[in-house]
Amino acid sequence: MKPFDIVIVGGGGAGLYAAMEAMKTNPGLNIAVLSKIYPNRSHTSAAQGGANAALANKAKDDTVEMHIFDTIKGSDYLADQDAVEVLCSEAPKIIRELDNMGTPWSRMDDNTIAQRPFGGAGRPRCCYCADKTGHTILQTLYEQCLRKGVFFFNEYFALELSVDGSHLRGLIAMNVKTGKVEAFPAKTVIFATGGYAKMYWNRSSNAAGNTGDGQAIAYRAGIPLKDMEFVQFHPTGLRKSGLLVTEGARGEGGYLTNVLGERFMKRYAPEKMELGPRDLVSRSLETEILEGRGFDSPAGKYLHLDLRHLGADIIKSRLPQIREMCMYFEGVDPIDDPVPVRPTAHYSMGGIDTDNFGRTIMDGVYAAGECGCVSVHGANRLGGNSLLDILVFGRIAGRTAAEEASKYNPSPISEAEVAEKEHDLRSFMQPRGHYERYGSLREELGQTLGMNVGIFREASKIRQGIEDIENLIDRFQHVRVSDTGDVYNTNLLQVLELRNMLDLASTVAVGALAREESRGSHTRTDFPVRDDEKWHKHSVYTLEGGYPKLGFKLVTMGRYELQERTY
Amino acid sequence: MSDSTIQHHEESRDVTFRVHRFNPQVDSKPYFDDYTIKLEKGITVLRALNYIKEHVDSTVTFRAFCQAGICGSCAMRINRMSKLACTTQVWDELDKTREPGVITIEPLRNLPLIKDLVVEMDPLVGKMKQHSNWVDSKMAEENWGWKEFLISEEEFLTYDKATDCILCASCVSECTILRANKEYVSPAVLLKSYRMNADSRDAIHDQRLAGLVQDHGVWDCTHCYRCQETCVKNIPIMGAIHGIREDAIERRGTKDSSGARHAEAFMDDIEKKGRLVEATLPIRTNGLAWTLRNLLPMAVKMIIKRRTPPPPPLVKASKGIQSLRKELKEMASHVAKDHEKKSGE
Repeated sequence: MKPFDIVIVGGGGAGLYAAMEAMKTNPGLNIAVLSKIYPNRSHTSAAQGGANAALANKAKDDTVEMHIFDTIKGSDYLADQDAVEVLCSEAPKIIRELDNMGTPWSRMDDNTIAQRPFGGAGRPRCCYCADKTGHTILQTLYEQCLRKGVFFFNEYFALELSVDGSHLRGLIAMNVKTGKVEAFPAKTVIFATGGYAKMYWNRSSNAAGNTGDGQAIAYRAGIPLKDMEFVQFHPTGLRKSGLLVTEGARGEGGYLTNVLGERFMKRYAPEKMELGPRDLVSRSLETEILEGRGFDSPAGKYLHLDLRHLGADIIKSRLPQIREMCMYFEGVDPIDDPVPVRPTAHYSMGGIDTDNFGRTIMDGVYAAGECGCVSVHGANRLGGNSLLDILVFGRIAGRTAAEEASKYNPSPISEAEVAEKEHDLRSFMQPRGHYERYGSLREELGQTLGMNVGIFREASKIRQGIEDIENLIDRFQHVRVSDTGDVYNTNLLQVLELRNMLDLASTVAVGALAREESRGSHTRTDFPVRDDEKWHKHSVYTLEGGYPKLGFKLVTMGRYELQERTY
Repeated sequence: MSDSTIQHHEESRDVTFRVHRFNPQVDSKPYFDDYTIKLEKGITVLRALNYIKEHVDSTVTFRAFCQAGICGSCAMRINRMSKLACTTQVWDELDKTREPGVITIEPLRNLPLIKDLVVEMDPLVGKMKQHSNWVDSKMAEENWGWKEFLISEEEFLTYDKATDCILCASCVSECTILRANKEYVSPAVLLKSYRMNADSRDAIHDQRLAGLVQDHGVWDCTHCYRCQETCVKNIPIMGAIHGIREDAIERRGTKDSSGARHAEAFMDDIEKKGRLVEATLPIRTNGLAWTLRNLLPMAVKMIIKRRTPPPPPLVKASKGIQSLRKELKEMASHVAKDHEKKSGE
C-alpha cells in the first residue's frame, strides 16, 4: 500500500484547517483526515465566545502589538514570545480568510466584522457570531473541506504510531464501524485531537471524548509533552453539569455576585472586574466559596452570574444558546434569575511539544491546536485565543507537513504489527483477574484530580493525587470490556479513552508537584508567588520506564521583559 | 454530581427505558430491551442511558459527545419523536408515554441502521456534497485573507437562524417524504442550501438552485411541517423551503419544472374558482402524455372505486370568490411593490 503523504488525526478546527491548507499548498498530495467522530461533531463547535484579532473594527486604536502584549501578560510570561507574535500577526488575516470562505460573522453598523470585549484584553477584539462562533467556524471549515474533496475516514479511532526506531512508518487505527484494526502508512502525521481536560470528568466542561488521545499516542511513542500541569479552570461552569457559560456573557456586561449580593471581583481585579483573566477570576470564585460567601445546594456550592440587567433583548439576540442551556440544564431563565455557576476544568494549555511550525522531535510528526503546545498560552490562555490558536497553527502545521512530506520515505507497516494491536484490543475482552468497573475508575480519576490537582494545589495534596493515579493505573489492568462485539463497540472505545487519560494524568500531577511556584492557572498555596529565577521555564515530560521523566526548556523571550502581572 | 451516585434529594421514581437493540453480527432483526432504573427528577435521557451503559448493560450502543446540545451526536427517537438525548428531561418524557413509566428509545429513521441506536450519517453528507452545501466564494482563493466582505446586519439576519443547524438529522428522521423516497434531498440539506443561496459572498447560487428543482428536490416537499416541528434548534425549516421555491419561480419562471407548474396550476384554480380542479391538475403539471402513461391505471382504479374527482365543469366557483380575487389582487400588488423596493436598493 502506497503511503499517505499526510494523515491528520482529528477533524476539529485545527485538523480541518490543516487539511485545507495542505491541499492548497500542494493539490497533488494524498491526504486523509481520521476522526473518531464525524468532523462536524468536534468540540470546536462548543466554543461560544469568539476569536481574537486586532482588526480594529471596534476600537480603532487596537494593534497587533497590543494583542501580543495581552497574550504574553495573560500567559504569565510563560508563552514563547516569537510564537505569540506569529499567533497575533496572523490573526487578522485568518479571520478575514474565514469571512472570505463564508463564516457568518456578526456585523457592526458599518458592515464590518463585529468585535466584543473579552477577558484579559486591552481592547474589544474578539470576533464572534452570536454565541455560536466555534460552531459556525467548524461548519464553514467542514463545508470547505467537502468542497475541496478532502478524504475523510470518519469514526476511526487512532491507536498508536508505528515507528521504526525513531522513523515514522505511519498510524494504526481502528475502524469503529467494523472493529477492524487498519494500518495507515504515512510520510507525515498531524495530531489535532483537542485537549485533555476531560480527565477531570464531572468537573470538566469538555465533551466526553476530549481525552487527549493524540497526546497519549505521541507520549507513548517517545515524543515529549510540555507544560501539562497548566489546566485552565473556566470561572463560569453551570453548577449541576459543569457545562460552560461563555465569557461573552461577561463581555456583554454580566456581573458575578456572592451570597451578600456583592460584585466580589472588586476585591480581586478592581479595574477589569468581571473581565479579568480566567485564572484570576476562577481563583476569585473559589476563594469566595472557601471563605463562606457562596450559595449552598445539594449539587455543591456556587455563585451567581447575573445577566438580568442586560435586558431580554440583549440576552435573546447575543446569548441565545446560553439562555437555552441555562433553561435545559439548570431550569433557570437568565432573563428572570441569576445563573448558578462554579469554576470547571476547561482547557489544557499543555500538549505535544512543538516548534512554531508544528514540528515535534520526531521527523514527520506534527501537532496543532489544543493537542499541541507551541506555546502561545503559557501558564494561562486568554479567552478568544483558543479558536485563534487552532486556526493559525492548524494552517501552519498543514502547510509545513505538505512542504516536508516529500522528504520522507517510510518503511511499510507489517501485518504482524497490525495483528498485534488487534490482539491487544481483544485481550481487553478476556477475564483479567478481579473485575474493575471502568466507569468508577473514570470518576475517581476526575475526583482526585479535582480535589488534589485542581485550582488550589499544595504538595501533600498533589502527592495524594499521584498516589491515587498510580493506584488507578494498577486497577486499570483488571478492567474488562464486556461487550465483545466488533461493530461500533463504544464500550471498548471508552476503555481505550480511559487508558489515554490515565497516561496523561500522571504528567499533570508530576508537573504540578515539581513546579514550586504559582504561575497563571497553576496555583500552589504552599508557594504562592511566581518564582522567575527557578521556574521561568517550560516543563517537558518524556515517558521512561512507565513514568514521566521531567525535563525543562527555556522560554523564548523577546520585546517584553518579565513584569508582575496585575489587572 | 456523578452518574454512578445519583443522589436522591428531589423527587425520584422507577423509570423503564425500552431500548431498540440490533447487533448486525448476531441479530437477524431488531428487538427491544427494557431497563428499569431509579432516577431523580432533573436527569436527562442521555445521563440515564450513560447510567444504563455503565451499570446495567455495557453493550447498549449510542453516540454522544458534547452533552450540551451543540454537537448533534445524540439525536435519537424518544417516545417516537426525534430529539437530542442530552437536552431532553426524563420527567418531561414521562408525561408523553403510551405505557405509564415506559420511555421508548429508538434510532433515527430514514438513515441506515448500524447498531442499536447508531445510524449511518454518510447518506446525508453525500446529499450535502451533491447540492454544494458550502459557500463557493466570489473571491479567488489566492486572494483570501486580505479584505473583509462588507455584509449588512440585514443580510446576516436572513441566514442567522439557518446557521444554527447542527446536522443532528432529527428533521431527516421525521421527514415524511424521505419515508417514501430515500433519494429525496431532505430538509437539512434544503435548509443549508437556502442559507448558502442567501449569502452574497456565494458565486454559484443559480447552479445550486438548478440542482434543487430537479426530481427528488425542493418541489417534492408536501408541507407536513414535521421537520420544523422536530427541529432541536427551533429553526423555521419550512420558511427555508418556501424561500427556495419562491426564489426558483422568480428566477426560473413558472414553466421551469413540474413543481413550478403544479404551483402555478394551484394558484390559477384558486384565483378562478377558489377551489382545486383536481381532475386536470396532473395534466397541467406534467402534460397529457405523462399523465396518460403514469396515471391511467390509477384513474381506472379510481373510477371502479368511484373515487374520481368531479370533472372541471362541475367544479363551481366558491361563494365569496369575488372578494377572494380582490384580496389576491391586493396581495399581488404588495408583492410587486416589495420587489420594486428590493431591486431599487
